[in-house]
Amino acid sequence: MSKQQNKPINPAIIVALGVMFLAIAFILLVVQPNTQSINLGADASTWSQLVVAFITGITTGGLSCLAVQGGLLASSLAHQIEQDYVEQAADKKQKQKTAVRTNSAFPIFLFLVAKLVAYTLLGALLGWLGSYLTLSPMTRAMLMIAIGIFMIGNALRMFNVHPIFRYFSIEPPKFITRYIRRTARGTDTATPLFLGALTVFIPCGVTQAMMATALGTGSVAMGAALMFAFILGTSPVFFIVAYLTTELGSRLEKFFMRFVAVVLLILGFVTLNGGLNVLGSPLSFENLTRSRLPAQSESTPVADSVPTDKIILYVKSDGYFPVTLKAPSDKAFTLNLVTNKTYSCARDFVIPALNYYQLLPDTGSVQVNVPAQKKGSTLFFTCSMGMYTGQIVFE
Amino acid sequence: MIKKTFKIPDMTCSNCAMKLESLEDTLDGVKEINASYHRLEMVIEFDESKLTEEQIVAAVKKKGYQAVLV
Repeated sequence: MSKQQNKPINPAIIVALGVMFLAIAFILLVVQPNTQSINLGADASTWSQLVVAFITGITTGGLSCLAVQGGLLASSLAHQIEQDYVEQAADKKQKQKTAVRTNSAFPIFLFLVAKLVAYTLLGALLGWLGSYLTLSPMTRAMLMIAIGIFMIGNALRMFNVHPIFRYFSIEPPKFITRYIRRTARGTDTATPLFLGALTVFIPCGVTQAMMATALGTGSVAMGAALMFAFILGTSPVFFIVAYLTTELGSRLEKFFMRFVAVVLLILGFVTLNGGLNVLGSPLSFENLTRSRLPAQSESTPVADSVPTDKIILYVKSDGYFPVTLKAPSDKAFTLNLVTNKTYSCARDFVIPALNYYQLLPDTGSVQVNVPAQKKGSTLFFTCSMGMYTGQIVFE
Repeated sequence: MIKKTFKIPDMTCSNCAMKLESLEDTLDGVKEINASYHRLEMVIEFDESKLTEEQIVAAVKKKGYQAVLV
């Protein structure tokens, strides 16, 4: 029985790429203040803003973006791995001894480079356009639902559930494939590049917060630099997690196809569920479980010291507290949103039923006037990516 | 020139279709190849004086797929 001769992953590759990303960031942050070639209006706060953007990326941004955009990366790698697997099978049939191993590092690298370039351009555009490009929560919800369905369809295609799911695989027009084939000699390079660039359409919550900051800069160069620093920060985490995941998979050989499909399926359901949350749908997992299992919900009644016309919701980096608020019915009240060093997407606060959307300050408080609601009704609230949720129950 | 359709049952993604279409560049006598992952088939237009069905099947096999003439 021929054993696959996969060399063990050289951790030096991962470390080298991580160091490279950090070095670029360091050069960006240290050298640029001394140059006047790009006028960023660079003062201490500007550079600290870039450092904060980078640190936000390397800490919360990487994992958060991986959760939201991991599907595109998985799709990209899935194509690569499918091709490698077919080549391996062909080699085995022809009894050739050359073993083909999957090369996941390269497509991940291309994916991240394309993402970095695309977001830097987006940052420049945002700085220029101001608020014109901000997606409404409703549009974002519909986009997330569509992406979720696309991922689930693709997973079912990979499971070979029914021929109809083959149509979830997009076949590019022939003239494009011919062009790509003749210029890039195959789609291995083009696919992750294209998909990496596509991530601008599905920014995670933390990224959106950063995009909002880029909008606020009102400067092409500063908007671009801010997004560059942030995405650069997310890249090492993205790379390491994705690389280790796929290399683990390559050892599982043919079973990995199923593994990728399962990952796609999970990410698809997570994305779809996030979309339902942003829509304020009672059918999302969180809203369903809270309404079906009220006893298990974290419910904190309004404190006696707080007037009933003013209810406090603490917006923290890890979500909303309390998750379930109780409010008097048939009476308008003020919802006081309190943040204190909150840097997660929880800041992007949405009440879909009221069509309310607000990017909260990282520290401070914002009041929302909630109109009178009927007894027994529920108002769902969420972050703009549907990751953190909660509800107001009217009694 | 003649046009033939082959079923390619073991295509797994649209990249497979692109890979099969790359035979346009390597097989002598081929005018055009249109492969579809959705339909799991490949339509090939070729000069039968330069290329045979057996050679096409062999070239497809070399790419890692099985081709069955429809």
